[in-house]
Amino acid sequence: MTLYHFGNCLALVYAPYHMAYKFSGISEYATFSKCVYAGGLYIFTQLCKMLLLATFFPDSDSNHITGEYNVFLEILKATVDFADLLGIYFALNSVPGKGHAKILTSAIGWASAEVVVTRSVMLWVGARGSEFSWRYVRACAESNVALLHTAASAALVWLSTRSDLPRRHAPLVLALLALSPYRGLLEDAAAALLALSPWALLALRALHAAALGLTSLALYAVLAQQIGI
Amino acid sequence: MWIDEADGFAEIFKGYLPYYLLVALPIFIIMSPVNPVAASHEFSVYRMQHYDLHTVPHGCRSASFNLEGRSLTSWSTSRHCVVARVQDITIDQFMEIRSKAGALLLVLPKNDTVLTVEEKEHIQLLEMAMIQQEVNAPVYFARWTPEFEDILRDLQHSFITDDKSGTALEAMLNTVSSNGYQIVVSASTPQKLDSKPVTLHGKLVGRSGSAQTIVIAAHYDSSAIVPELSQGADSNASGAVAVLELARIFSRLYSTASVRGAPSLLFVLTSLGHSLNYFSAKKWLEEQLDSTDASLLQDVSFVMCLDSLSSSDSMTMHVSKPPKPGGAAHSLKSRLGVNINHKKINLADELLAWQHERFSIRRMTAFTLSSLQSHKDPSRSTVLDLPSEAGIRNLAANIAATARALASHVYNLTDELNDEDRALYDDALVSTSVHAVDKREPEYALYGATRAALYVYSVKPAVFDLILTLAIVAYLTVVYFAIQLFPRFYEEYAKIVTGKSKVH
Repeated sequence: MTLYHFGNCLALVYAPYHMAYKFSGISEYATFSKCVYAGGLYIFTQLCKMLLLATFFPDSDSNHITGEYNVFLEILKATVDFADLLGIYFALNSVPGKGHAKILTSAIGWASAEVVVTRSVMLWVGARGSEFSWRYVRACAESNVALLHTAASAALVWLSTRSDLPRRHAPLVLALLALSPYRGLLEDAAAALLALSPWALLALRALHAAALGLTSLALYAVLAQQIGI
Repeated sequence: MWIDEADGFAEIFKGYLPYYLLVALPIFIIMSPVNPVAASHEFSVYRMQHYDLHTVPHGCRSASFNLEGRSLTSWSTSRHCVVARVQDITIDQFMEIRSKAGALLLVLPKNDTVLTVEEKEHIQLLEMAMIQQEVNAPVYFARWTPEFEDILRDLQHSFITDDKSGTALEAMLNTVSSNGYQIVVSASTPQKLDSKPVTLHGKLVGRSGSAQTIVIAAHYDSSAIVPELSQGADSNASGAVAVLELARIFSRLYSTASVRGAPSLLFVLTSLGHSLNYFSAKKWLEEQLDSTDASLLQDVSFVMCLDSLSSSDSMTMHVSKPPKPGGAAHSLKSRLGVNINHKKINLADELLAWQHERFSIRRMTAFTLSSLQSHKDPSRSTVLDLPSEAGIRNLAANIAATARALASHVYNLTDELNDEDRALYDDALVSTSVHAVDKREPEYALYGATRAALYVYSVKPAVFDLILTLAIVAYLTVVYFAIQLFPRFYEEYAKIVTGKSKVH
């Protein structure tokens, strides 16, 4: 709408990331460079995924024209997102320090890179134009949810790499990890089935991310208790 | 507590946020285009008629605007563009808009068949009222689309009020929920069009060279409030079609020497109709009568003008002087069996009533055949003048009646003539003449552009951004406290999950 509106959107995107970095205690580890490294890994992972998609999957634009929605193809495409988990794993490995610092640093770096790559151009072009749309405010709020989601995923990846993970937790962690690439698809399917409005979908995403976050936090707490950190 | 918090927020701004943004943002602003986003709605709109007649200005005088859209009830200043349906706006409202509003955008009816007679009449009267005087604000017309329906509904039901809401809270909620529209038309200033009216005439030479000439004339221009949308099916496509059809019928008859009639027939199609005072008929007459080798219009028996023949299957003969009994015009009148409507020429009027008056002024016997009872009928210049099945049937009946009467007059028959078409070739010589408008004192001037692209942006008022900022600040404060309280929350949560307190 105006530059002021763009500023509003930017504040909504930027401030939670900044606060998460500043106040979670990881800034004391001087890990800004590690965050940037995680971001770089994100971009590299996306490039690899794009290569895979472009090589092995049919042109999705032609499907858009015919209006067909191929569920099987979409699931296969979402499967490629397992590469994200691999990327997060490498990011976790590259960060020294305790568990929570590893998780938060790589999650913040990863999610920031995602926001910069996917949202910045859209915001710059869209939110600054004279046309007003709630879409941009919603996209900004969604990127906050994405941070929570990435943190939960990173925690799950970290948990699954631990050899001292309690036996009874392992299936739950692995199941959540296996489901994680399909989360977006499941949310969209739920929205389509219940005919949710975009705001309701955002609330659903937030609830989902919060539930996932609490579950992984519980698993983390148990392990942390066990190993004494 | 509050000081701690202030420190926390100060931290944010003390970090690397402002410094790189101070450099990056101006660079982005310089680099990026002025208006990077396309509007969500783009429409074709048609500008209201804009012309001068005898240097008196008529119609809409300007073209571009960039104003906030408002409905008929909620507009107040010249910073608003009034958006309304054509059938909703009254003439009084239009007069007020003409003097005070910034622009007017009228949406034409969805489909003219659903209009009642009263609505049609209302639209025609409105058109007449609008074109009477000049309008300084831009006036545009748009075809109906579902998107326009949404915009109209939004504008009618949610208006961004300045003073109409009860409480401040209500006003605030209104601000957030309502949709505003910024309406933009960027067009260049209206330019005078280089108009060269063209007159076509063709002559069928009669049996004896010296015999009289019958002139059959019509104008072929339509006029309505929106030049782009004026189809003029009745006025005056029907008249032009009638002239062409009569030319076809008589060219077949005249092509054989044995059935050739005595008088010569001259078929004339002029441009520029009643709204521009039949100017090209006047020019054409001047050329034909005042030049030295004028032979075309010598000894004219009568001039028959055809105008608006499709609105009913009966015709009226409009004359400026009652036809003398025994004269050619009277003979045709009795053969047609039509009523006579006598109206004297009033040269003080801005406009002539019918095309035959141009010929009557030059002392020819002339009359107009029309289905309309009066020259003031608003249906002569309306955008609602569209082709219809019934109109075509009426037109065919009227042409047949006219052709029969004319043929019986030409061959001087007393009983009904049965003019069966014969497959013959057409030998009418058609000439065209192009008229020029006087440079110093133009009789008329037309202006473009007649169409433009309209962009509608949905916008929110400036207050909305402030409210959004407040909401975002509130949200960020919640996030801030959530992060601050997270360690405590984690401790409690871990206690619940593991069943014992954390070992330090």
